[in-house]
Amino acid sequence: MESNKKYWKGLEELNQTPAFVEGSKSEFAEPIPVEDVLNEAGLSTKTPRRDFLKALGFGLGAVTLAACNRTPIHKAVPYVIKPEEVTPGIPNFYASSFNGQSIIVRTREGRPISLEANPNAIGLNQGTDSATTASVLDLYDMSKLQNPQIGGKDVEWAKLDQAVVDALNKAQSAGKQITIVSNTINSPSSLAAIAALATKYPSTQHVQVDAVSYSGIIEANRASFGKAVIPSYHFDKAQVVVSVAADFLGTWLAGEEHTQDYIKNRDHKSLKGGKMSRHIQFESGLSMTGSNADVRIAIKPSEEGAVLISLYNAITGQSVAGGTNHAKAKTAIALAAKELVNARGTSVVVSGSNDTNVQALTNAINTALGAYGSIIDLDNFSKQHQGSDSSFQSFLSAAKAGQVGVAIFWNTNPVYDYFKVDDVKAAIAKVDYTVSFSDRADETASELKAIATNSTYLESWGDASAKEGLFTIVQPTINPVFNTRQAEQSLINWAGVNKPIHDFVKENWEANILAGTGKAWKDVLQQGFIYKGSATGSAYTANVDVNAAAAAIATDAKRIAGGVELKVYESPNIRDGRWANNAYLQELPDPVSKVTWDNFAAINPADAEELGVKETGKVTVEANGYKVDLPVLLQPGQARGTVSVAVGYGRTKVGKAGNNVGVNAYPFASLVNGTIQFSAKASVSKASGIYELAQTQTHHTIEGRNIIRETSFANYLKDPNSESGRFSDTHQTYDLWNKFEQPGHRWVMAIDLNACTGCGACIVACNVENNVPVVGRDEVRRRREMHWLRIDRYYTLNAGDSKLTKEKEIAKADGLDYEDVTVVYQPMLCQHCEHAPCETVCPVLATVHSSEGLNHMAYNRCFGTRYCANNCPYKVRRFNWFNYWNDSRFDNYLNNEFTQLVLNPDVTTRSRGVMEKCSMCIQRIQAGKLQAKVENRKVKDGDIHMACQAACSANAIIFGDANDPESEVSKALRNERIYYVLEEINVQPNIGYMTKVRNTFEA
Amino acid sequence: MSSHNESILREPLITGKDITYAKITDDILLPVENKPNKAWWIGFTVAALGAMLWVVSVGYTFWTGIGAWGLNKTVGWAWDITDFVWWVGIGHAGTLISAVLLIFRQNWRNSINRSAEAMTIFAVICAATYVVAHMGRPWLAYWIFPLPNQFGSLWVNFNSPLVWDAFAISTYFTVSLVFWYCGLLPDIASVRDRASGVKKRVYSILSFGWNGSVKTWQRFEIVSLILAGISTPLVLSVHTIVSMDFATSVIPGWHTTIFPPYFVAGAIFSGFAMVQTLLLVLRKVMNFEDYITMFHIEAMNKIIMTTGSIVGIAYLTELFIAWYSGSEYEMYAFANRVAGPYAWAYWAMMTCNVISPQLFWFKKIRTSIPISWVLSIVVNIGMWFERFVIIVTSLHRDYLPSSWAMFYPTWVDVGIFVGSIGLFFTLFLLFLRFLPGIAIAEVKLLLKSSSLQHKTKLVKEGAFPEEQVEYFRDSLEKYDSVTESDIKALHQK
Repeated sequence: MESNKKYWKGLEELNQTPAFVEGSKSEFAEPIPVEDVLNEAGLSTKTPRRDFLKALGFGLGAVTLAACNRTPIHKAVPYVIKPEEVTPGIPNFYASSFNGQSIIVRTREGRPISLEANPNAIGLNQGTDSATTASVLDLYDMSKLQNPQIGGKDVEWAKLDQAVVDALNKAQSAGKQITIVSNTINSPSSLAAIAALATKYPSTQHVQVDAVSYSGIIEANRASFGKAVIPSYHFDKAQVVVSVAADFLGTWLAGEEHTQDYIKNRDHKSLKGGKMSRHIQFESGLSMTGSNADVRIAIKPSEEGAVLISLYNAITGQSVAGGTNHAKAKTAIALAAKELVNARGTSVVVSGSNDTNVQALTNAINTALGAYGSIIDLDNFSKQHQGSDSSFQSFLSAAKAGQVGVAIFWNTNPVYDYFKVDDVKAAIAKVDYTVSFSDRADETASELKAIATNSTYLESWGDASAKEGLFTIVQPTINPVFNTRQAEQSLINWAGVNKPIHDFVKENWEANILAGTGKAWKDVLQQGFIYKGSATGSAYTANVDVNAAAAAIATDAKRIAGGVELKVYESPNIRDGRWANNAYLQELPDPVSKVTWDNFAAINPADAEELGVKETGKVTVEANGYKVDLPVLLQPGQARGTVSVAVGYGRTKVGKAGNNVGVNAYPFASLVNGTIQFSAKASVSKASGIYELAQTQTHHTIEGRNIIRETSFANYLKDPNSESGRFSDTHQTYDLWNKFEQPGHRWVMAIDLNACTGCGACIVACNVENNVPVVGRDEVRRRREMHWLRIDRYYTLNAGDSKLTKEKEIAKADGLDYEDVTVVYQPMLCQHCEHAPCETVCPVLATVHSSEGLNHMAYNRCFGTRYCANNCPYKVRRFNWFNYWNDSRFDNYLNNEFTQLVLNPDVTTRSRGVMEKCSMCIQRIQAGKLQAKVENRKVKDGDIHMACQAACSANAIIFGDANDPESEVSKALRNERIYYVLEEINVQPNIGYMTKVRNTFEA
Repeated sequence: MSSHNESILREPLITGKDITYAKITDDILLPVENKPNKAWWIGFTVAALGAMLWVVSVGYTFWTGIGAWGLNKTVGWAWDITDFVWWVGIGHAGTLISAVLLIFRQNWRNSINRSAEAMTIFAVICAATYVVAHMGRPWLAYWIFPLPNQFGSLWVNFNSPLVWDAFAISTYFTVSLVFWYCGLLPDIASVRDRASGVKKRVYSILSFGWNGSVKTWQRFEIVSLILAGISTPLVLSVHTIVSMDFATSVIPGWHTTIFPPYFVAGAIFSGFAMVQTLLLVLRKVMNFEDYITMFHIEAMNKIIMTTGSIVGIAYLTELFIAWYSGSEYEMYAFANRVAGPYAWAYWAMMTCNVISPQLFWFKKIRTSIPISWVLSIVVNIGMWFERFVIIVTSLHRDYLPSSWAMFYPTWVDVGIFVGSIGLFFTLFLLFLRFLPGIAIAEVKLLLKSSSLQHKTKLVKEGAFPEEQVEYFRDSLEKYDSVTESDIKALHQK
């Protein structure tokens, strides 16, 4: 039944008053003067005075609104169909390998942004060297070619393939040889691809040549053991190490792996067990390895062989002629020999020479020491340096004779790095068809007919075998960005094997590597590596005619001796020049000299004084008919009468960042007895002009301050607290500030000064992780490098019994020869002080303390007074003087949308005028905490790694939660050696350092 | 007034014959009421060019970033804050003269307070430009103030001396401006009364309707006293707070409790030197010799000598305490000042600030106009170096030797500093052109008590014993504005 109920809103409605009846007719209670407005008067152009304010108000408001920026358009293309494995904001990890090291690549939304060592790998599993970490930038290098080229013009792949195949066929039919010139290739699938080409074209030859050659070792081992290989060295088994000019922690063979092993006998864990190895170094220039040695004797390059002869005599008791007359070296050799012999089986001698005779003599010494089978492993030998100087020689002569039909250059750049460039150019000119697998038109590729543009390893399928029995996988983490094709694919295409390279690599693995291991392809992709080698190497005895070797050494020494002796070495950052366009590496300071963006002539300060050259001066260095002006570096520790120059610089066609940085030093080399030699007799003279090297550190002594605390191993054994001198043990401190509760976590760090070798891999890792800008040479000269983490390096000059650490004392001391120095490295980063001086002075609270003990930096809030940086006793804060990301004057690498894809999306880039500094990888801490939360558990020790820590092969950086008494870092911070830098000013830093311990002779 | 005569032993503050109230007005308003002379135009052109250099340099900095300066990771402040402290310090003399000397009834301030206060205001303007310009993101400069904002609970850090600084400087500027302008009111009214046309209108507005009634004058006196009372603590507080920018830090060479008094003394020292530099030229060019007399010059030189000595003692105390502290960092910081790479700056400071003012012990030097002028400039060079030494030599070598670095200025650093001097003089010359450079009303107060004319009259009336008149005559010898006949006139009874 229909309801008749009626609700009324008020008495007016109930009573239907006339006013109500009238009002209810219109929609609004008050009449709206619509008509008035729309009639003539409302629309008339008359503007009464009182409308002025209205008009003004409306006008201003409208203009203001209109003037507001449109919301900036950020080009973000969402996934139309989201790939199953990609979740925006969550990184993916892929196992791959770089230079034979098993690594994990982190990708975000499909683009690789950083990489770390594969922690489960065999061999080098702890850290990555600077080049490995920085290599991610090479993917985003704008200086690379985007298409294959013929004659400098972009072409289609089909056209290039046609041209190459025609040339190959022509060479085949003409009976000419086809040569693939490459650097060391240990990748089984690359070798299989070459073999595939060789099957189709039987005249194919493969020549391997390395710019920095180790042929001498290979040849010596061929003669001594009948095994033409470079052994693996296990420094973790070495209690006594004598190195003659081998930078084995840096550039020699496998520096990073050596570091990881070597440190195991020197770090805090080893010291806790009362053990520390002794390391004696003989060398001319101060290398990173030499700077870490317990005892270092500066010798000239011509004396290297003589030192080894003396050492041989002292160890074996024989008296082979040609020993050294160097007084200091003789004393050291006598002591070293005793140690070596006492530690027989756990002692080793290494030599950095590329001379066959020197290496043969070294083999004899190591045989006498019983190092083969314990430290030196000839069975699980290294395959990282297989280049042969002589086979490259034969290629050159064959090419010059017109016997080469096609030459394919792969990862090699002889037009730049061979000592006789004209020879190479002449040889190339005689070859009918030349192809390069370069990724850019570099010095060699631009001389060739075609460039089959290679993809980077992050875009390729492949593998590596750095050691006998160790196989690592390379899997792509992104599709080729440009129209490039990986070299192996090109090779098999030309060989007529028409299949995708993935299938080729997979089939090769399944047939040759996985067979019999019970593992499948998928397992390898997950694990990244497979190891089939034997557990330990067996003992070998070197068969060496020591007298003949000694005689040859003495002859060669005459070639170098007399006048100034030049030592050409490999820089630990740029290496042989391959990484010259990597801005991260160019700006990474050299561990010892702290020079960036240049090479230089390192000479002893006393020699410089005799030459009349000062810092910022230049010298002319002439050797082997090559003459060049170089900026001079006064290098303490450099042997008198020697000059050291690094290769890898002076490239002309590598790209924007690396072109014309420094001077090419390869032409100083020479071919002696079939191997490339990097020592020469030279003349050095003062050159005109001034040149300021861009150094990140210009004061080199600690001025007697206790910021570095060091002791001898003997004293450490007596008292582990020796010299740690903790202020808190002897002083009561009083606080102005209230103590804050830190109930959750307290993130802290411990840094072992004994483990840090100063290599700087952590710096690059930090740059990559935290988007730290590269600022270029000029800005570094102005002391404005942005590195959040730096490694301070201090020299102590030893003059007799006194140790000079003060600038004034050194200036006063007479007749210093500057040869005998000790070096210490100290990684320095934000100390996250509990009483941070930066925090109190910031006017806008842009830097504040967290309840987890971190010193935060709120970039958005910072307006750049720089007061915090001034008040930082550690000077670790960095200011964005310019808009480094987006300023054409600092276009080293990043000012384009493509390269910016390398940026870590978890870390914001900082604009001009903002302070920045180490955040203790806050994004990693956050990610670790979230992960734990998702898994409904507490954060475990080891869940979170700092970028620097992950890169450190020496495990010198220990990070964790101090509120967890069982964490690694808590244990480390309870170490007797722990001290805090500048603790006496009561800023309460959260980073503890462990005293440096030296295992010196005197003690 | 006539019931109480000022002692004849006091030197006259106004010299010259036939001075009347009208003549004072005429004399002082001469530059305001007439077309500027050649000297003014030359000065103004040079100053304006300097100001343009300032605009270019600051504009370049804003456009490209602070990287245009020579600063680096170790030395985060250099010329910017040196110049800032220098200008703030210079300002202090104006406040001291106008406020402290008013409270202490030092009547000689009446002829110099106007220019000194103008100097204060322009110096603080110059200083304030650095506060903004030295920021990495100057467009956010307003964040220094605790303004309500949409960012939630974002607030300033009241622990930070920079926040105190912002308050101190802004208060100082406001109070100085108000004080200066209040003092100007009767004089602007004088200009108004004598002007016509547009000029009259403008000055009429500027005079805030000053009508010269007794009540107005009474209120004027009260306001002056109140403002003087407010300003007096500022003389001490502003530079104390500026010094705390350094004193509260942990940097050796900055972290020192002596800074507040030392900075205040230094500020007065440099301020008086700047007043001296300006007034010695001003009195000559504007023919104000009768109003700004040798007495004023000598008095200011005495203050310069006194404060210079205080500063000198502070320098020596610093050295002693550095040694006495036993702190190696502290000791090094001072050894580095004395003998480090910037030792030349330290010794320039020592020579200019400690040694040169000691010359004022000699009356001949104290009363020599050219030497006083040169020394006043020397003192300000020295005070600039003092701030440079404190800021740069402390920063460039602090705790960790690995970070030690040198600072080298760029053209922009130099341009901003030279430009700020141009800006200062541009403002000052405009001030002289449009406003009376001497407080007319306040000088008139002195005519019937402290002028030579009045004293001569009293001497003639025989109001003082002869030996006092003798003393008075002797004291007039140093006056360059007193002629032989003026002195002879004092003999006639």
